[in-house]
Amino acid sequence: MSVEYQPKVIGFLCNWCSYAGADMAGTSRMGYPQNIRIIRVPCSGRVDPLLVLKCFQRGADGVLVSGCHPGDCHYTEGNYHTRRRFALLREFLDYLGIAKERLKVEWVSASEGQRFAELVSDFTAELTKLGPRSKV
Amino acid sequence: MARIGVFLCHCGSNIAGAVNISEVAETVRKLPQVVHVEDNKFTCSDPGQAAIQKAITEHKLNRVVIGACSPRMHETTFRRTVAGAGLNPYLLEIANIREHCSWVHPDQVELATAKAIDLVRRAVARVAWQEPLTPKQVGITRRALVIGGGIAGIQASLDIADAGYEVVLVEREPSIGGHMAQLDKTFPTLDCSACILTPKMTMVGQHANIKLMSYSELEDISGYIGNFRVRIKNKSRYIDVSKCTGCGECAKACPVELNSEFDLNLGRRKAIYIPFPQAIPNKYTIDKRGYPPCRVACPAGVNAQGYIALISQGKFNEALEVLRRTMPFAGVCGRVCTHPCEQECERGKVDQPVAIRTLKRFMADYELKAGREKATPVERTKEEKVAIVGSGPAGLACAYDLVRQGYPVTVFESAPEAGGLLRYGIPEYRLPKEVLSSEISYIQELGVEIKTNTPVKNLTKIFNEGYKAVFLGTGAGISQKMGIPGENTPGVLHSLDFLRQVNAGVKVNLGSKVAISGGGNAAVDAARVARRLGANEITVVYRRSRDEMPAIPSEIEEMEREGVKIQFLAAPVKVLSKESRVNGMQCIRMELGEPDASGRRRPVPIKGSEFTMDVDNVIIAIGQGLDKAMLPEGLAYTNWGTLTVDPVTLQTNIDGVFAGGDVVSGPADIISAVAAGKEAAISVDRYLKGIDMKEGRPETREKVKDVPKEGVVKKERAAMPTLELGERKGFDEVELGFDEKTAVEEAKRCLNCAVCSECLECEKVCEAEAIDHEMQDKISEEDVGAIVVATGAGVLDHTQFSIYGGGVYPDVVSSLQLERMMNAAGPTGGEVLRPSNGAHPKEIVFISCVGSRDERTGSGYCSKVCCMYMAKEAIMLKEHDPEAHSYIIYTDARGPGGKIFEDFLTRAEEAGTTYMRGQIDSVSQQDGRLLISGQGFFTNEKFNIPADLVVLATGLMPNEDASKLFQTIHVSYDAKNYLLQAHPKLRPVETAMDGIFIAGCAVAPTDVPESVTQGSAAAEYVLKLFSQEAIEAEPMTSIVDIARCAGCLLCRQVCPFQAIEAETLRDGRTVASINESLCKGCGICVVACRPGAIKLRGFGDQQVLAEVMAL
Repeated sequence: MSVEYQPKVIGFLCNWCSYAGADMAGTSRMGYPQNIRIIRVPCSGRVDPLLVLKCFQRGADGVLVSGCHPGDCHYTEGNYHTRRRFALLREFLDYLGIAKERLKVEWVSASEGQRFAELVSDFTAELTKLGPRSKV
Repeated sequence: MARIGVFLCHCGSNIAGAVNISEVAETVRKLPQVVHVEDNKFTCSDPGQAAIQKAITEHKLNRVVIGACSPRMHETTFRRTVAGAGLNPYLLEIANIREHCSWVHPDQVELATAKAIDLVRRAVARVAWQEPLTPKQVGITRRALVIGGGIAGIQASLDIADAGYEVVLVEREPSIGGHMAQLDKTFPTLDCSACILTPKMTMVGQHANIKLMSYSELEDISGYIGNFRVRIKNKSRYIDVSKCTGCGECAKACPVELNSEFDLNLGRRKAIYIPFPQAIPNKYTIDKRGYPPCRVACPAGVNAQGYIALISQGKFNEALEVLRRTMPFAGVCGRVCTHPCEQECERGKVDQPVAIRTLKRFMADYELKAGREKATPVERTKEEKVAIVGSGPAGLACAYDLVRQGYPVTVFESAPEAGGLLRYGIPEYRLPKEVLSSEISYIQELGVEIKTNTPVKNLTKIFNEGYKAVFLGTGAGISQKMGIPGENTPGVLHSLDFLRQVNAGVKVNLGSKVAISGGGNAAVDAARVARRLGANEITVVYRRSRDEMPAIPSEIEEMEREGVKIQFLAAPVKVLSKESRVNGMQCIRMELGEPDASGRRRPVPIKGSEFTMDVDNVIIAIGQGLDKAMLPEGLAYTNWGTLTVDPVTLQTNIDGVFAGGDVVSGPADIISAVAAGKEAAISVDRYLKGIDMKEGRPETREKVKDVPKEGVVKKERAAMPTLELGERKGFDEVELGFDEKTAVEEAKRCLNCAVCSECLECEKVCEAEAIDHEMQDKISEEDVGAIVVATGAGVLDHTQFSIYGGGVYPDVVSSLQLERMMNAAGPTGGEVLRPSNGAHPKEIVFISCVGSRDERTGSGYCSKVCCMYMAKEAIMLKEHDPEAHSYIIYTDARGPGGKIFEDFLTRAEEAGTTYMRGQIDSVSQQDGRLLISGQGFFTNEKFNIPADLVVLATGLMPNEDASKLFQTIHVSYDAKNYLLQAHPKLRPVETAMDGIFIAGCAVAPTDVPESVTQGSAAAEYVLKLFSQEAIEAEPMTSIVDIARCAGCLLCRQVCPFQAIEAETLRDGRTVASINESLCKGCGICVVACRPGAIKLRGFGDQQVLAEVMAL
């Protein structure tokens, strides 16, 4: 593990809550590590677990999937599907040789700029400690 | 081949300050398919947008990437720019290099630049895969829904309605007006709140374009902007509003009074009420909260709350009428019922249950004492004759219900007199024969024919005599045998035979020592009868312990007081005799083992523990059963020897023959028999009409939840006066019942759990015939194009602030309570009084920021209106009483912005109010007054102010159920449960949901002028929407590739909007089909689709995958 190891993080954020929360972090000028690259989706329910695996395949060290808090999904139920799908995927990660901690599923609402910033900081720190991922 | 143009924005120094734009430009230029790169200081400005358009035309670009602020900011703007140049607006992708990059990594230029490059590269990769999309033109329903009838909602409704569009205004309280209606005066003009509010309310009520749905709640919203479908529950007022004149006679007659929510528990209202005099609609509402627990517990559904409420008002005859609507046995059941109602009585959770049974008896006794008038015979409206076999409680209850429906009913009784076990089982000292006879006569006076000395054993004969249906209520009148040796010895009696003889007036000889085997009511009755017949040593032998004895506890108690002993955990094994007469009984001790089928622990004999009792008589009272020989032939029996009937209809195996009571259930109590008789009557009626007997049965009764008990002062249950032990020689009644005064006092202990008691007194006095207790809630469906949410704020409960004496001292009130007192139409008639003693307060202390700016109570924000209203209230207090003096103890006092707001505070000071900057340490009581202790800010000088009244300036908070409502509407709200605006600065009345607008305190604490402003603003957005020809629907919907679709329809299961249906193709294959109008573009189905047949336009797999690959 080189000294300057910077984990590569991909984030899938839902348009209505978590992406807006990330925007709020920006508007409030809250700093967080620059490792994350955000992809906007209409709903966290749009995120295919296979897509997440693709991220790991392509070299991501960590993947964040974020959506609205349960009960607040803009599309009513999308985040429930997300929750289930990723609960399942989590179990498979071990089998694939990927540390479970590299996948984070968290709920961030549109007003939670602070929380988003903290989330990314914490996640980046955890990933830095875990080190780079060996190829799948 | 894509020709991609990349436009990088400096955003002044917002982006350029942290990201090296030129470096990004250089790198991006080299990406495949990128043909043009340029940067601009302010891309969203006019020249910036023009530059993009020029570039599109010049370089023949067919894809555009803009690296700038968040797409949530300017995606719409840039789409229009691109469209302006003739390019499809969906061939645009934005890379967020401001909120997600420059603004969060301000000091790491290298890293931020690297990230910006990544983000732009992602966008470039994606945009190559984007397809042109055409938004559909959708029509607009030009009707609006306004949720919330406070001042904001009222204003919005009036504005929209005045513009010529129809408004549906939904308000959950019986009247519109919201909290503004509770205020006395408003700041800073000191206008009387009702004076400025009621004209607007009246306009709403009378406006041709406003459909006011008061006392209604939102159930569901579906659809999208311009095309919402809304489901509203119109709660039942139980009053036909088209007939109600608001005369108020009903409220005068209503016996149920409770705290008025409008007057914040300072005043009272009736169960039938108008919340305040200027209510719109000015119609009454009946507050019903389900069935009271007593009524649900009663097998026959007797409305105990109904008659008790009337007894509490001294309306004894009317009370008896309420009972007689259900059953006729006031005196009988009032003496001997097992009272399951009292077990469930909510008053029992405060101190003791209400004496429901004795109050029932009181009504009957009252009538008998005054002389019962003969009942009017019921008009015979039906031809079909009904035969009832058995004149016990089951048969008589069945007859009672049927005769009142107009049927000719004949009751056949094998014994010489009617009543069954009521007459021949229960002893006279519990149920005097004259009481029983009076109630049986009552039934006969209604038109029921009773033929005594007429057993029925042949059903064919009955049917031949012209009877069309039969009810068998022959009971279980045979004593069960113990099966022990010596049971047939003379001197051994079986309880039912024994009681029958005594009740029939036959002389029974008993010795002085009697043993009774059993623990039920029959055993206790036998014991107490034996006492009255002269026996001295009476012992009840029961095989279990006291806890398991099934007899009525008060009966057991009286029995023991009368000198009867109980031998627990023992059972007889043999009757001993001498010269063919009983002279003793051998018993064995028992211990309790495992529970049996009834749930009681099974008694197990202890080996070798036999003992002998010296007795002259043994009375066996261990159970009752049917005598099959007495019943007609052809009937089916259960394994326990009782009649088999359908559990719902009570029909036996013979068509048209029904049965109920002990003959079906085995020995049970009277009220269960009454209930069975009533159920059978429903079956007989339906059977004779030829309609379905099972529909809607059994009837479920929803018990009222959460009966509030605050403020209920403990008071012991009235004791039943009984005959002194020395007086209990003969069979005189032992329990004497209540007198009028006691009855009224006891009835007042009732908590009126269901609020409206359904006593029906209101119906009697309503000349307009507007009352309908059977009314049901209705569901309305409305189509609207726009929605305004103005559901307002909730009231903070000041009683939780015990640190300031709230909820502890009655003279510590909330500011809203003070408003109600000051209001001339309020609970104190406009007099400001100390709740503790009704005196006028001379020294008043206001405590500011109660519940606001205090994270401990969850609302860390400032409620904005309190500084102003404290000043207002202080000024008004002075006006009410020139000798009153107010302190306002504040943390910060501001008259925030507004016209003449700060002046208002000065005015309060000039009126004599003492403003003190300080913090409160405690509020305590001293010499009948309150003492407010604290210290000044900055001076740290301690103060101790004695006061007569303390007013807590409670802040605003969202309604309790706000989050649930907002979820139903699908609008976002923040952690404090206030609505989220689309943009806090520039879009304060819009939400992220197109077509849904917000206003008033539901968004944040506001005062009246602001609520009005926001209401109008929201209305303006609605009108703006309605003035368009059509709106464009988001084209980002999903579509199924039928070539790949396997027809598994998993997508249909997961779609939250029911937008997916199954479709059968011409070749017979089933595939999924998505309704574009309903699809919201969430993409759940895309992931669920296993063959990958669904594409979400705009967020297709290829596009998102391209993003991932690029990163």
